[in-house]
Amino acid sequence: MEILPQVLLDGIMLGAVYIIIAIAFSLVYGVMHVIDFAVGEWIMLGAFTGFHLTQWTKVDPFLLLPLVFLIFGGLGYLIQPLLQRVISGHKGNPLLMGLVFTFGLSLMFRGLAQTFFGFYSHSIPSRFSTGSFFFEKGSFFLTVSTVRLAGLVYAAIITGVLHYLLKHSDFGLGVRALAQHKEAAGLMGVNNKRTSAYVYAIYTGTSAMTGVLIGTILSVSAKMGPEYTIFAFFVVVLAGMGYLAGVPAAALLLGVIQSVFLVYLDPGYTLLAVFALLYVILLVSPTGLFRKGV
Amino acid sequence: MAPVHKDKRLLGALVVFAAMLGVPLAMHDTFFLRVLTEAIMWIGLALSFDVLAGYTGYLNFGHSAFFGIGAYATSLLMMKAHWPFPLAVLAGAMAAAVAALVIGMPTLRLRGAYFAIATWALARAIQQFALVSSFTGGPDGMRLTAYLNPQYFYYVMLAVTASTFFGLWFLLERAPFGLKLKAVREDQESAKALGLNPTKLKIQAMVLSAIPTALLGGVFAYWVTFIDPGSTLGDLVSDQALVMVVFGGMGTLVGPVVGAVLIFAFKTLFWAYLSAYEVLYIIILGAVIALSVVFLPDGALGMVFRRRKAPEADLETPAGHAPEFPNEEEA
Repeated sequence: MEILPQVLLDGIMLGAVYIIIAIAFSLVYGVMHVIDFAVGEWIMLGAFTGFHLTQWTKVDPFLLLPLVFLIFGGLGYLIQPLLQRVISGHKGNPLLMGLVFTFGLSLMFRGLAQTFFGFYSHSIPSRFSTGSFFFEKGSFFLTVSTVRLAGLVYAAIITGVLHYLLKHSDFGLGVRALAQHKEAAGLMGVNNKRTSAYVYAIYTGTSAMTGVLIGTILSVSAKMGPEYTIFAFFVVVLAGMGYLAGVPAAALLLGVIQSVFLVYLDPGYTLLAVFALLYVILLVSPTGLFRKGV
Repeated sequence: MAPVHKDKRLLGALVVFAAMLGVPLAMHDTFFLRVLTEAIMWIGLALSFDVLAGYTGYLNFGHSAFFGIGAYATSLLMMKAHWPFPLAVLAGAMAAAVAALVIGMPTLRLRGAYFAIATWALARAIQQFALVSSFTGGPDGMRLTAYLNPQYFYYVMLAVTASTFFGLWFLLERAPFGLKLKAVREDQESAKALGLNPTKLKIQAMVLSAIPTALLGGVFAYWVTFIDPGSTLGDLVSDQALVMVVFGGMGTLVGPVVGAVLIFAFKTLFWAYLSAYEVLYIIILGAVIALSVVFLPDGALGMVFRRRKAPEADLETPAGHAPEFPNEEEA
């Protein structure tokens, strides 16, 4: 039990990173009503890009974050029109087709990553990776790893920026209007296509940046994607779909679960536990932990 | 579309079925028979995937879970309890039906897109369970006593797939059940207003999709005599079924068959000539899905029919008299 506070703290700091993934993921869903199956793949590609850029330029990965954001934001901006074309079709079930499209993307990305980046697992070296703060009081002690602390700070900054963007800018007003009613927003002069493309770009850029962070805290591998797609989805459902204020608690809970399984139980069971919890939540309260989702 | 036209299509299916019955008599090449057997299995998997995907509007990425449950239940019953093969396969299908019921109850409450990821997560969890449990043989998988009779498996696989096709044709194209599912797919609230119970219908559809899948899984296990979590519970089963359905044409019964034949033929050729590039197959699969969604929203079959018929041909509702609801799920 002595290491319990340590486990909880590690879990919370890891969970902070999941907050960002889930917020970006919900943002896209709010505006385009499409869940991006490739979310884990964007994270993975971002992480690999961070890894290779660090190797190549010898610059600390934390300084490369804006560059990764720009690269993947641009990529997302270019891909979004295709997705937009699929979801604004008039035949069959366009939203379902949008999901199928992102699923196709995720398969392609995973395959390409395995081809070009190989099957090995890497860790992104950062100046923060080795350092840590140590607290001790009697038998109670805590180690705060700098890289996880940096992740926490990153999460706070990104959340703040997104919050400002959504609540205090004209662009954010347009985004919120689109999320509420697409046609009415269009009549009020919100450019649906352009705004959606920007939102998607923000989402891909942010996910890729978060990938770099996960690469420094945990590790990078071509097969990591699906796990994070499931995590993102878990957080969003647990929080209650469409209820952004529930995201932090759900994300922190996920971080703690992961951390507990890593230390006390077999990490191979994490996914089973995550799904068992999800199953119970959906059965007992389909609108999420706080009963405020849709 | 007049019913006569539909019956003609059924006649076509019957002719194909009769021709398939004769194939092993005319051909003695075991390799080719093996390829055909697997093609028939994929047709069955694509068909059962389409019950939820095309007719109900829910993508079940946990399709592989039912396949694996069928395969594992059959193997366990045959090897540990020494049940005869037909009984074991049927028990496997029962197990999958119960699993579909249990899984469907909470997950079908989710909106379409979330359902897809929930079932996907579940399939991965089940795969992980099979990997860490000892009674399933863990990562080493399970071996079954070999029964080396390719014709037997050809006919069993054909029997399962054909009864799936004709059973689904009756249920989805002839009986009101298909129309009810489509009503739920088009607009759940309006379906409710018509007195339908969407949750019940969706769970029924999931069970209907799970049973043939598990039967095929059981036959597959006995046929290849070796199963492991990767081959039966892995993502590839769901992924390929999805590609086949999307490529062929969702929401029809002929579409998945066409898609399955085309994609499987491609897969066989790919493995024959390019097996060194295993990963490339995944990339191509992803590209085919993404591109066919963008450029062939009705699938390959839809494109052929659109060319031949008037542009107004109603392809989403082959029954012709399905109510036309707007497609927006939410504003």
